[in-house]
Amino acid sequence: MPGTVRFVLGDRVVEVSDPDPTTTVLQWLRAQGRTGTKEGCAEGDCGACTVVLGSVDDGRISYRAVNACILFLPMLDGRQLLTVEDLREPRGPLHPVQQALVDHHGSQCGFCTPGFVMSLFAEFHREEGLKDEEGIQDALAGNLCRCTGYRPILDAARRVGAASRADRFAVEEPRMLALLEGLRRDTGLALTGPDGRRWFAPRCLAELQALLDAHPDATLLAGATDVGLWVTKQHRRPDPVVWLGDVAELRRIAQEPDRIVLGAGVSYAAALPVLASRWPAFGALVRRLGSAQIRNSGTIGGNIANASPIGDGMPALIALGARLILNRAGLRRTIPIEDYFLGYRRTALLPGEFLEAVEVPSVPGGTFATYKVSKRRDQDISAVAAGFSVTLEEGVVTEARLAFGGMAEIPKRAAGAEAALVGRPWTLETVAAAMEALGTDFAPLNDMRASAAYRILVARNLLMRFHLESTGQAELLEAADA
Amino acid sequence: MIAKPAIPDVLREPGPGIGKPLSRVDGPLKVTGQARYAAEFNVPGLVHGYIVSSTITKGRITRIDTAAALRRPGVLHVFTHENRPHVAWFDRKWKDEDAPSGSPFRPLYDDRIVHAMQPVALVVAETFEAAREGARLVQVEYEAEPHETDLAARRHEAFTPGKEKGGFEPPPKPRGDPDRALAEAAVKVDVEYVQPTEHHNPMEMHGSTVVYNDDGTLTVHDKTQGAPNSHSWVCSVFGLSKSAVRVISPFVGGAFGSGLRPQHQLFMAVMAALQLKRSVRVELSRPQMFTFGHRPPTIQRVALGAAPDGTLQAMIHEAVQESSQFENYVEIVVNWSGQQYRCDNVRLDYKLARLDVFTPLDMRAPGAATGVPAIEMAMDELAHALRMDPVELRLRNYTDRDPNQDKPFSSKELRACFAQGAERFGWSRRNPQPRSMREGRQLIGWGVASGVWDAMQGQADARATLGIDGHLVVASATADIGTGTYTVMSQIAAGTLGLPIGNVTFKLGDSALPMAPIEGGSWTVSSVGSAVLAACERVRGRLYKLAAKMEGAPLGKAKPADMVLTDGHVALAADPARRVPIAEVMRSGGVLAIEEEARSVPYYVKRAQHTLATHSAVFAEVRVDEDLGTVQVSRIVSAVAAGRIINPKTAGSQVMGGVVMGIGMALEEETFMDHGLGRYMNHDLAEYHVPVNADIGSIDVIFVDEHDEVVNPLGAKGVGEIGIVGVPAAIANAVFHATGVRVRELPITLDKVLAGLSRRSAA
Ligand SMILES: Cc1cc2nc3c(=O)[nH]c(=O)nc-3n(C[C@H](O)[C@H](O)[C@H](O)COP(=O)(O)OP(=O)(O)OC[C@H]3O[C@@H](n4cnc5c(N)ncnc54)[C@H](O)[C@@H]3O)c2cc1C
Ligand code: FES
Ligand code: FES
Repeated sequence: MPGTVRFVLGDRVVEVSDPDPTTTVLQWLRAQGRTGTKEGCAEGDCGACTVVLGSVDDGRISYRAVNACILFLPMLDGRQLLTVEDLREPRGPLHPVQQALVDHHGSQCGFCTPGFVMSLFAEFHREEGLKDEEGIQDALAGNLCRCTGYRPILDAARRVGAASRADRFAVEEPRMLALLEGLRRDTGLALTGPDGRRWFAPRCLAELQALLDAHPDATLLAGATDVGLWVTKQHRRPDPVVWLGDVAELRRIAQEPDRIVLGAGVSYAAALPVLASRWPAFGALVRRLGSAQIRNSGTIGGNIANASPIGDGMPALIALGARLILNRAGLRRTIPIEDYFLGYRRTALLPGEFLEAVEVPSVPGGTFATYKVSKRRDQDISAVAAGFSVTLEEGVVTEARLAFGGMAEIPKRAAGAEAALVGRPWTLETVAAAMEALGTDFAPLNDMRASAAYRILVARNLLMRFHLESTGQAELLEAADA
Repeated sequence: MIAKPAIPDVLREPGPGIGKPLSRVDGPLKVTGQARYAAEFNVPGLVHGYIVSSTITKGRITRIDTAAALRRPGVLHVFTHENRPHVAWFDRKWKDEDAPSGSPFRPLYDDRIVHAMQPVALVVAETFEAAREGARLVQVEYEAEPHETDLAARRHEAFTPGKEKGGFEPPPKPRGDPDRALAEAAVKVDVEYVQPTEHHNPMEMHGSTVVYNDDGTLTVHDKTQGAPNSHSWVCSVFGLSKSAVRVISPFVGGAFGSGLRPQHQLFMAVMAALQLKRSVRVELSRPQMFTFGHRPPTIQRVALGAAPDGTLQAMIHEAVQESSQFENYVEIVVNWSGQQYRCDNVRLDYKLARLDVFTPLDMRAPGAATGVPAIEMAMDELAHALRMDPVELRLRNYTDRDPNQDKPFSSKELRACFAQGAERFGWSRRNPQPRSMREGRQLIGWGVASGVWDAMQGQADARATLGIDGHLVVASATADIGTGTYTVMSQIAAGTLGLPIGNVTFKLGDSALPMAPIEGGSWTVSSVGSAVLAACERVRGRLYKLAAKMEGAPLGKAKPADMVLTDGHVALAADPARRVPIAEVMRSGGVLAIEEEARSVPYYVKRAQHTLATHSAVFAEVRVDEDLGTVQVSRIVSAVAAGRIINPKTAGSQVMGGVVMGIGMALEEETFMDHGLGRYMNHDLAEYHVPVNADIGSIDVIFVDEHDEVVNPLGAKGVGEIGIVGVPAAIANAVFHATGVRVRELPITLDKVLAGLSRRSAA
């Protein structure tokens, strides 16, 4: 039986039978002659390909901007896809976000413009979207423009932020809800592409477990912000692919008295409010992870499982003492997150096993902070990332967790520096000794992002900064300032 | 028919629309996704080409095996140097409007590899995916030879180029005795600046869609800054008649110089279409955007000597710049220094070093964006050594004549730029002491620099056709690469004929339209705008004549000189209430349309007697994190003198875009070369950093009034380049003021700043 991807394009239902499972939405759109959506990089960096996905959330449609260049076509199943061509009513006036860009001269060569239009459209439909400068900057961080110098686009965004949020999409919401309801599936989707490569999209944990039992070597796919690049950049052809995006249990967030449990499939965008309200510094860090588009797609589970030495979430999670719940055919084990990383891109995950959830202890323990230092403020890979937590009793350090990214082949704790702190008073002298010890804890690399000398120096300075801040001697350094 | 130029030698008032901040006429097409770019034209039967790039930097192809690729379903053909169709042999046949001297690169010509990621094959397939997959399956074996890609290693073998390229002026002869004057100067600086390779990276990647028409002619949709340039190049390389090819390029997704020369994809797509007799599209990938031209890396020495009062006594500015093994790419790097400041002892020197790279290519403000930052950073170092305000030092050595050529400037309001910029910025509150401003762990600094760029003009044609319905169509083969050509030309035309802007359609980007030069160097408003003005003036002249002859003489005995055009009417200048609708004038004259074509040529004589330039003064504020070395540009004020501003909205955003590219130059942009491999390492937008919106603080653009009767009848100089020129130095100088650390190697990245800070605190 053929598998069919069904979604709403604009306001029409579209069915695509057994497509190549890793065709990107961008390729598909452009091959249809819908060329409004642009390609500027094919790897999530520029935002020219930004489209909006609508999905049902608590009886309402929620819209989020994503990069079509690294989104696989079957990931549209059951959702609404909006592109720049959909916003203006046929022969009607421009949509308010389009009009604002025209009036403020937000477009020169125009190649980035459809992407900005769609990013702004998604924000237009979020009540709190584009309300302040920070919100505007965050919303547009994933859209590059080489011509305008951004100022006119930011002006347009301010106007949109201040405008009423009524548009025809709001009016037509009930009809769209009904359409999307009609696309709902009770069991998972299975596709076989023209060259025989397979795609599975289970709907629940039980289905997922069974699938992985049958295909222990399957490529797990969550938001595709890492895996997408394997395809577009490295030209890999994964088979079979098991997509986790429709597994309801993996998207749960549970806030318990002493811990927060985040399903592995929770996107960074969904986790942000929870993390930010408990740990403001973590919130500030997540706001600088990738871009709005990347955070809308990218998941916490993917960030961890990808095991990059520079994944931004890891130092913070290690510092907070997070633990991972791994699941293999229904058998669960729980390990400290730092034990997950064995070597460069080598992890403790067994064949057929998947990451189900992350639990983060949330009892007020020590002082915590996390930092990201990168060459460019937004849309950049860290040169160094750090997560620190120290617990004090009567001024003496009883526990220290100092974790770094970008300093070794895995996200790693600084054992020597921690030892230099524990049992000693939380003073500048103690910290100076720990800073010294960082030099033996790590031997970082020279690369384009920073020199080895810089990395060591900045790791030390971050620790000092943490001390100054925790003792009220320095204004709080927002992660965003780095 | 093109009539002889008949432009009176005066500055003209082109009418009421000029100077208005009009919104772009192409805005609605762009925000709705309807503007179509080169790779977006779909025709039935279109096939796709994917370029295979070499894996070595220098050497020879010894074997190329395409069998596996050809077996891939969907693959139609693989072109290599072994089976390519016949192409031109003489170098001159491969030269385009922007080619420097030398032998232009010829894709798939022979087995030689002369630069990294050189195209070695084209796989053509029914789908893009099949072509890309086929490209992966092409096997190439090479015999590698040693290469050299490091400018520092070759700087001492550099040579002095001649006049290798249109628009290039070798440095003037030395004046006085600069070495002695330097040795004897009371205060001096003698330093070296290094600038990296940069790539244009417009957001649109280069692509060409070649439509193979039933009659065997080609319609080429190309990403280019000049449809006529691509057109004549294609005809010449493939030996086709002019009428067999038409190049169309109505929308270009940015270029910044990358579209000044025909790029690989154009050659490939045309070759494949001719051979396969099918329509073909070839698009470059983002990594392939790093394979055909770049802003060249440059090493510069600047030595300045001054008297204690700041009077410059010696200036030496020497630059060594990269070029390829096969062409002598040149740009004006050092001449600006001798032009900007009065000094009796000057030596300017410019050399090229040959390296195993592709030929560099003009990138926004080529040369000026390299040389001016060097002299402007050195002036800051000198001001610091003199304990003198850097604006004051520049005014002390200000010149109203161009010392290089001993000619007056056609206009130069740089003094006003400094005054108005300083006022807006609040410069008078600056404490000259470095490290004198801080907020928490942020060090704050203020810096200044000036900028300069040539006000060029080329020859261009335009055609204006006024219909009896009151609609005006104006056409010229020029381009709009985002610069606002559509809008500005419509505005000039509407202003000249007193029509609402909505009645004007401007057509461009088509080799079948009246000739225009490549769009670059900020000369489009000057060149094409003058032609549009001239063509519309002729239409106006014809209307006046018809009006004078009208039956019933509604305008009395008025002569053309007594008439004006307003609101779609011919009216009496003295009594505008007496007027006749244009349609009526045309009807009574028995014409349905008035069509006029005109050519504008620069005022050669007047121009030759002057130096023509745009100027700017740029003020910058930065915040530097003491612990992390990160730099944030919180404020820029750029005051620009560029003659008459036709549209403050399009011009303002051109400058703003230039400022932001200047921020990128100062802090972020750099293509890293792995000299071992001879290959660029960061050929993507993840690692080649261009500014993001959060990098941008407040940017204030001021246009200073400037009156110029020499530059062209519009009095407008063009603003595409000037925005970038002063910015890198203003930021570098601000970083010094904030930190006391002088970073002389751009870009100023966090590790360079922090290393400087820690050296400083160790000392
Ligand atoms: C433009 C861009 C910017 C980025 N910026 C940042 C940044 O600033 N900081 C940062 O840290 N990262 C960044 N990333 C990387 C990426 O976005 C994150 O790592 C993201 O969290 C990955 O999540 P995902 O859901 O998209 O993972 P996917 O790409 O779907 O998967 C990533 C890996 O995790 C595996 N996987 C996914 N889910 C599971 C699971 N439940 N169990 C087991 N294995 C699983 C997959 O098999 C794959 O190996 C960026 C990426 C892009 C394209
Ligand atoms: S094309 Fe650049 S982000 Fe998708
Ligand atoms: S308008 Fe050209 S990239 Fe934004």
